[in-house]
Amino acid sequence: MERSFVRRRILIVFVIAVFVTLAARLFVIQIVDDSYKEMASNNALRHEVVYPPRGEVLDRNGEYIIQSREAYDLMVVPRDVISGFDTLLLCRLVDVTLPMMRTRLERASAFSPRRPSVVVPGLGKEVKVLLDELKVPGFYTVYRTVRSYPRKIAGNLLGYVNEVNESDMSADDYYRSGDQIGRSGIEQAYEPYLRGEKGVRINMVDVGGVVKGSWQEGRFDTLPVAGRTLTSSLDAGLQAFAEELLAGKVGSVVAIEPATGEILVMASGPTYDPDELVGRERNNNYARLINDNRRPMFNRAVMAQYPPGSTFKMVNGLIGLQEGVLQPNNRYECHSGYTIGRGVKCHVHGSPLDLRHAIMTSCNAYFCYVLRNVMDEPEHGGIKTGGYDSWADHVRSFGFGRKLGSDFTAEYPGNVYGSDYYSKVYRGSWNSLTVISLSIGQGELGCSPLQMANLAATIANRGHYFIPHVIKSIEGVEMDPKFREPHHTDIDPEHFDPIVEGMYMAAHEDGGTVRAMGYVPGLEICGKTGTAQNAHRDHSVFVGFAPRNDPKIAICVYVENAGFGSSAAVPIGSLVMERYLTDSITRPHMVEYVKNLNISYPHYDLL
Amino acid sequence: MTERAKQGSLLHGRVDWLTIGIALVLTALGWVNLYAAVYDGAGAAFDFGSRYGMQLVWIGVSLAMSLVVMLVDDKYYHILAFPLYIGVLAVMVLTLFVSPEIKGARAWLVLGPVSIQPAEFMKFAASLALARTMSVFGFSLGRLRDFLRVAAILALPIAVMFLQHDVGSAVVYGSFLFMLYREGLNRWIYIVSGIVMTLFFGSFWITDTGLLMLIIAGCTVGAGLTFRSWQGPLVFLASVAFASVAAWLGFVFIGGMDWRYYHILLVTAGASLPVVMALAYARRLRGFGVFIALFIASVAFVSVTDVVFDSLDTHQQKRILDTLGIESDARGWGYNVNQSKIAIGSGGFTGKGWLEGTQTKFNFVPEQSTDFIFCTVGEEWGFVGTVVVLALFCVLIMRLVAMGERAQEPFSRIYCYCVAGVFLLHVLINVGMTIGLVPVIGIPLPFFSYGGSSFLAFTLLLVVAVRLDLGSGDLSQTRL
Repeated sequence: MERSFVRRRILIVFVIAVFVTLAARLFVIQIVDDSYKEMASNNALRHEVVYPPRGEVLDRNGEYIIQSREAYDLMVVPRDVISGFDTLLLCRLVDVTLPMMRTRLERASAFSPRRPSVVVPGLGKEVKVLLDELKVPGFYTVYRTVRSYPRKIAGNLLGYVNEVNESDMSADDYYRSGDQIGRSGIEQAYEPYLRGEKGVRINMVDVGGVVKGSWQEGRFDTLPVAGRTLTSSLDAGLQAFAEELLAGKVGSVVAIEPATGEILVMASGPTYDPDELVGRERNNNYARLINDNRRPMFNRAVMAQYPPGSTFKMVNGLIGLQEGVLQPNNRYECHSGYTIGRGVKCHVHGSPLDLRHAIMTSCNAYFCYVLRNVMDEPEHGGIKTGGYDSWADHVRSFGFGRKLGSDFTAEYPGNVYGSDYYSKVYRGSWNSLTVISLSIGQGELGCSPLQMANLAATIANRGHYFIPHVIKSIEGVEMDPKFREPHHTDIDPEHFDPIVEGMYMAAHEDGGTVRAMGYVPGLEICGKTGTAQNAHRDHSVFVGFAPRNDPKIAICVYVENAGFGSSAAVPIGSLVMERYLTDSITRPHMVEYVKNLNISYPHYDLL
Repeated sequence: MTERAKQGSLLHGRVDWLTIGIALVLTALGWVNLYAAVYDGAGAAFDFGSRYGMQLVWIGVSLAMSLVVMLVDDKYYHILAFPLYIGVLAVMVLTLFVSPEIKGARAWLVLGPVSIQPAEFMKFAASLALARTMSVFGFSLGRLRDFLRVAAILALPIAVMFLQHDVGSAVVYGSFLFMLYREGLNRWIYIVSGIVMTLFFGSFWITDTGLLMLIIAGCTVGAGLTFRSWQGPLVFLASVAFASVAAWLGFVFIGGMDWRYYHILLVTAGASLPVVMALAYARRLRGFGVFIALFIASVAFVSVTDVVFDSLDTHQQKRILDTLGIESDARGWGYNVNQSKIAIGSGGFTGKGWLEGTQTKFNFVPEQSTDFIFCTVGEEWGFVGTVVVLALFCVLIMRLVAMGERAQEPFSRIYCYCVAGVFLLHVLINVGMTIGLVPVIGIPLPFFSYGGSSFLAFTLLLVVAVRLDLGSGDLSQTRL
């Protein structure tokens, strides 16, 4: 009896030990160790990204210039794919060849067996419905938006969208493989507003990868937030007109509303249809565009560096007036040019002339005198000790030689050198005659068409400008206040009057450089031609605004290698301004003339 | 019968309602849980053709059968013990020839729409047969003839199960060691099995040198305990350590032989044996040879283990290695256990709620309505649920032990201990394998796993214990 009592005790202890061991182990795996919970989520939960529709863009008249169209991406989770499914049927549905499909699936497996990858992007709704019916394990479709550009204008300005790459993903946590990102123009500059916010739908999947419904009734799902609608300052009709005029030419047209800095037109030629960079053919089109010698994807309006040519004479005149070395009535003689030093040639016009007439006729010699007087002004003690640099500071106050801070990510600063540059290049031995080309906007000056259009706006405003920008409002967000602050040049406003008058005379009086090709009755165009010398044939340049008082539009036109400013740039500039101000064209022959201009570009085309 | 009914033994006697209550609660929990395991997220209507529907039928059958069992006079269990045993054994042998192969085993008797696994009922029949054999007056496990009878009762069904390739069911017969210990089976059998198990697992867990040190230390401490002397053992340990280290250093510096320390230690300890034996003989320490024998046997066993392990099939080796935590392959054969642990582990403290278990609902856990049913408990009811279920089983087993102990005749006691052992082993192995404590052996969890045969068999085992408990209380009054 005694012995069986001990054995009974031992057995009871054993039973309790067994249960305590089991409970202890359960305690560890159910409560202490969290890794099982994560593994369970990995097993049964699939985080499906819900893409928001990308924000759309309207022009200043409420017309769509960028739209989002419904589309679907075919996704794959390689782990859940069951071999032996009807690959051929799938390929036929999504219109992809079998070998192509195989490589894409292999790439997806290499990326991650568990995370979803895009197999075929941008499928139509009817294909999506068929795929959803087919229910191939491991494959599913997600809603995406695809861009469309209804007006087919302003390719470089609007930009394009494509899939994010490694560096995008490491730069911003928001992006995951397969996401879209804006690549240039508005699409890139306003990416944070346009992209919206992705949502997440957490689905439960079974062991075969088949979706079994929403997890926790969608408690942890988040809804996507649609991208914001932007309103551009662009006038789509005017933009299309400018692009029409630029067709076949290399150059750009930039028009600004002087009172606000809003960009009305920004055409860069040659251009491309932004819809070409959407959809199946995008890669082929992209390759074609990027290999085009005329570089259609180079936004000349903000990235090209041109000498300003004679359009720069207004700046020199203004600096002369501001520095007090020039009075509007000062007359200088022109002997078919400026004859001191190397000399600067000039064309035939009356002589001597005052400032207004010098602007009107674009006299080279006049501004050589002005520049030398500015730089050699005694109060600076010499050109190297401040004469040159005070001139350069004035120039920079117009926005030259630096980025204007517009809403273009790819804006180029251009160049306006300091005196140290010349001291280095000429080893200390230089004077105002060395830099005499600056007087007529040649030499070491580099400006973008945007900067020149900004000059036109600054003169139109008599001394100040607003940072040029192409988006005027964002739905639900305050625009950056920097676009509403006037930036004053360091030239007093009263000095602008004789300059403006000279520009008015250029377009209205006989002998004015603009009048022949740019006079439009009633428009009160003020303008200045430029014939910018460069390694090839001269660029045709026009800078102007209208009307004279309370100007509504300021414009800059560059047509590369078209010769005199009046031969191509003036007609284009005057036509665009007329169309904007009166909504009509009184000179259809001029439109025909511009369209029929045949300019050859051997240095682009014969590469 | 009528007279007994008039006495109201079923209502007024000592029916152990607690046991019945626990069984009913477990059955209810089991069924609800089975419903969740079968449930796949689609809100389908109740379906009698499904597993939970079938199980409900079996529950009904079992309840009816329980009523019959309670009404049958307990003496019939004495009388029917051997015929039942032989009958079930015969059916098992028959099954061997007519059964279709299901999952590699020929263990199923297909009778029209129902399949029966005779081995499940063999637990019951063997328990009765053991109780019948061992309750004979004068029976003693210490006597070879009696011991062999018990061995034969157990060996016959085990042999048939091996022929059926149903190793899982055979393992269950280890549960009778529980009852046999209570009935006085030599404790050395348990001690030796314990040592063997320790050495076996030790040979995987620790290095051979470490294990050898452990064996030497164990034998020395054992001898020290037995003879209540510590000087000798300490001197011995110090000598062996010194001699072996000196020899090892000698080999290292002088060179000549590339023996590992293990071999040197083995030789040193072996060489010390005659000296130690001589000293023990001189001091007249009786029984000292046991420790010498233990040492030699242990070393031999460890050496043989490697050979045996190498002879096992790869999947068996891997199961052992995984259970010991030495190797793990979550993608291959270890998938079941891994998914099972994920399901249970993801339940947390309170679980995900009934029908909310993603792992079971979406079929990540294999065999989830049979062998891995406990995953659903763990995932949907969490630690609270698993502990409640384990506690119910624990109390149930304790009740069986208590019923056995209060029985006035050995038949009931032995039978109750058999049932307690069977339940304990099923819970230990089934729950243990789902949480990676025990190798995967496909045996059901009582009242939870889907399957008519096992449900009926467990009910039968339990209700007969309750009936015998009741009968033993009424013996003095009702025996005619």
